Amino acid sequence: MSQSENVIEIRNLSKVYRDFWGRPKVRALNALSLDIKKGEVFGLLGPNGSGKTTTLKLLLGLLFPTEGEVKILGKSAADVSKNERIGYLPEESYLYRFLNAYETLDFYGRLFNMTAAQRKERSEKLLDLVKLAPQSRRRQLKEYSKGMTRRIGVAQALINDPDLVMLDEPTSGLDPLGNRDMKDLILDLKAQGKTVLMCSHLLADVQDVCDRIAILYGGELKVMGRVDELLKAQDETQIRSSKLSDAALKEVQEVLKRHDANVINIDQPTASLEDLFLKTVQESRERPGHRNVIDRQSVT
Amino acid sequence: MYFDPNEYLLNPYISFLNWAVVVGCLTFVVLFISMVNLVATRGANGIGIFFDELGEMTADLFHLSPRRIWALTRLTYTEAIRRKALSVFVVFGLLFMFAGWFMGDSKEIKPDQVKVYISFVLTTISWLTLPVVLILCCFGIPEDIRLRSIHTVVTKPARRVEIVLGRMIGIWLIGCLVLAVMAVVGHFWIVRQIPAESQPLLTCRVPVYGTNIEFLDREGNFARSGVNVGDIWAFRSYIEGATKARAIWTFRNVDESSLDSDGNLNFENSFSAFRSYKGDMTRPLFYDIKLFNPAKNLAYTTDPQPVNEFRHKLDKIPRKVTVDNVQYDILKDFVNEKRELNVEVSCIDREQYIGMARSDLFIRMPDRPFWMGYWKAVLGIALTLLLITMIGVSASTMVKGPIAAVLTFVIYFLSLKDNHQFMDQLVFGQVQGGGFLESIYRLVMHMGPSQELPANPAFTVVKFFDWTLNNFLWLCRHVIPYSQYFNMPEFVSNGFDVPWETSILPSLLVTAAFIIPCVVMGYFALRIRELESK
Repeated sequence: MSQSENVIEIRNLSKVYRDFWGRPKVRALNALSLDIKKGEVFGLLGPNGSGKTTTLKLLLGLLFPTEGEVKILGKSAADVSKNERIGYLPEESYLYRFLNAYETLDFYGRLFNMTAAQRKERSEKLLDLVKLAPQSRRRQLKEYSKGMTRRIGVAQALINDPDLVMLDEPTSGLDPLGNRDMKDLILDLKAQGKTVLMCSHLLADVQDVCDRIAILYGGELKVMGRVDELLKAQDETQIRSSKLSDAALKEVQEVLKRHDANVINIDQPTASLEDLFLKTVQESRERPGHRNVIDRQSVT
Repeated sequence: MYFDPNEYLLNPYISFLNWAVVVGCLTFVVLFISMVNLVATRGANGIGIFFDELGEMTADLFHLSPRRIWALTRLTYTEAIRRKALSVFVVFGLLFMFAGWFMGDSKEIKPDQVKVYISFVLTTISWLTLPVVLILCCFGIPEDIRLRSIHTVVTKPARRVEIVLGRMIGIWLIGCLVLAVMAVVGHFWIVRQIPAESQPLLTCRVPVYGTNIEFLDREGNFARSGVNVGDIWAFRSYIEGATKARAIWTFRNVDESSLDSDGNLNFENSFSAFRSYKGDMTRPLFYDIKLFNPAKNLAYTTDPQPVNEFRHKLDKIPRKVTVDNVQYDILKDFVNEKRELNVEVSCIDREQYIGMARSDLFIRMPDRPFWMGYWKAVLGIALTLLLITMIGVSASTMVKGPIAAVLTFVIYFLSLKDNHQFMDQLVFGQVQGGGFLESIYRLVMHMGPSQELPANPAFTVVKFFDWTLNNFLWLCRHVIPYSQYFNMPEFVSNGFDVPWETSILPSLLVTAAFIIPCVVMGYFALRIRELESK
């Protein structure tokens, strides 16, 4: 698979949840189309009920689409063989609470047909990677804190050294240190050439690690594009300089007036992702059906 | 012993054909239900999806991984143990600690008491292991779906078939573990309860039953049965003494192996006596046994033997017998070319009667050790556990835990001997009073079962409805297993070995017959449903 190949292709994907009698209850996803390329970190954003997790579950074959088509690693979502190359971290780390960390990884390793030696080696490596304290590794997961469960959840998602990692709220429940570790891990995966698809509410995290994002609202795609491009303010200029005293600042202003300052950096200022997110949601409420997709489909 | 093991003449070709037809029909029913479900949930695309899934399932069978199945087996096993499934041993321990208090004085052991001990142990083990397995198999997968832990499994390369198989094997293994521990303890308990001098009562007799029993009436003519002496239970038929009335058995496959170590052919009987006059109550009634070979016009009759009422009686006939001063070999001269031996029993006492059924006379082969029969009975329980596990796991892939548990319990309940036989009676029209609606009408209108219904269109509809329901019942009757095959403890508690052809083989075949449909059902249920907790 070349660098420009699509790892995930979603075409016109819709999902309608129905009640017991088969009557439509909720349209969770409406005509979603997007591509995710190999090696990029893609963020799926949206308020609660916007269809992020539904999209992920449709990709994994946990839910069936009402309409549309999904190709993941060139295969259909229902094809079990695709799972050989996928790692999935669910929203709540739905793991077996009566197993300890070693048993958990050993179990998932067996599902990938790994040998005992491979499982042992990989388990040790991953438990070190997610920084799970050695004294906790023999305890049953039901005794773990949310952060520890999250760490073991990440480890199980990576047990098979996947090409595509799908993370549902990866930083949920982590402390700031764990949060940083998780972001470093995602960047590390990206550096290894893996593709990462993540859903998150924590916009700062997405801003830090994602190459491209898509914002969903009410099951519809509202915004999609490269993070840096989406956040650029097109009609302003940003000037950055070293710290100046008040007197110097006054002088700078004068100097600026005369266009004679020692300018260190001039750039377009960026708004925070949170601002963009809130603005998108607000606009979506005010103008249903409006879309502002800026997607150049390029990968850094 | 009041049960009559059915003849199970095994014709391999016909038996396999019947077995394949049953398995095929069961699998077809499962596939048809799956297709209907898909059409109902996915509309017209459902048929296409069904055939796609059928292809996927076939492909999956070639990609089954023993390692993955074992992983899921271990997971199930560990889950059960850590969720304290083994606490059932507490109940078991309590029962066995105090059971001896309520089960008679061990100094006066009688055969019936031995039967009670064995029956108690095996019944207790069944009643403790079956609910444990029922709960484990019906709640495992629904709980996985509810907690969504199944998401982390199905997003790995685990096939749905592997999930179903892994669950089934894991639960069955935990059931077998519990069963094995209880069976070992139970075995020691039985042996310990029975004093050394009564230990010979722990027998494991190997009977060879006659293929049929025929009767001659007092005139010596063939009759459908003997005399009915007024017993409401027609299990036994009676022959009149000092007349030409006889009961005739034909035993098959009689050869060297039928003889004991001393070269005797042992006949054991449990005839009952009926006296038409009081006479001397301390004097038993007498019967004799005649071996005859019509082809050689040869017959040998034993000396009169007393009826051992309410007990078993063993008659040893030596291999070499003398008739009219000529010595004959039973196997050579009385057993015909088809290896059949004809045996006739008559009552000697005038105006007295001896009652007998097919199973009341058998050739007793050399006994086997008690533990052999005991562990065969345990195998019967293990196979029952496997059957329940398969049904429970496949049911739990479709519905929630409590519903799966009720469904599995109902199937098991209907599979019990009396219930299954009642279904037979309903299906084959042996119950008077009509079907469901007709019988309700008769009840409400106070109509007797033999009274004719009025001839009008409404009753035609009623009869059609009952006919449809009866056909559905026919299907259920064939789909629901007959658990009497698995009832091996009954043989052992009655002091018999568990026969291969009438019990072990049918139960193995029934179990094997359920594997394919149950796995197919489990596969489709997990594939065509969205694995979301709702």
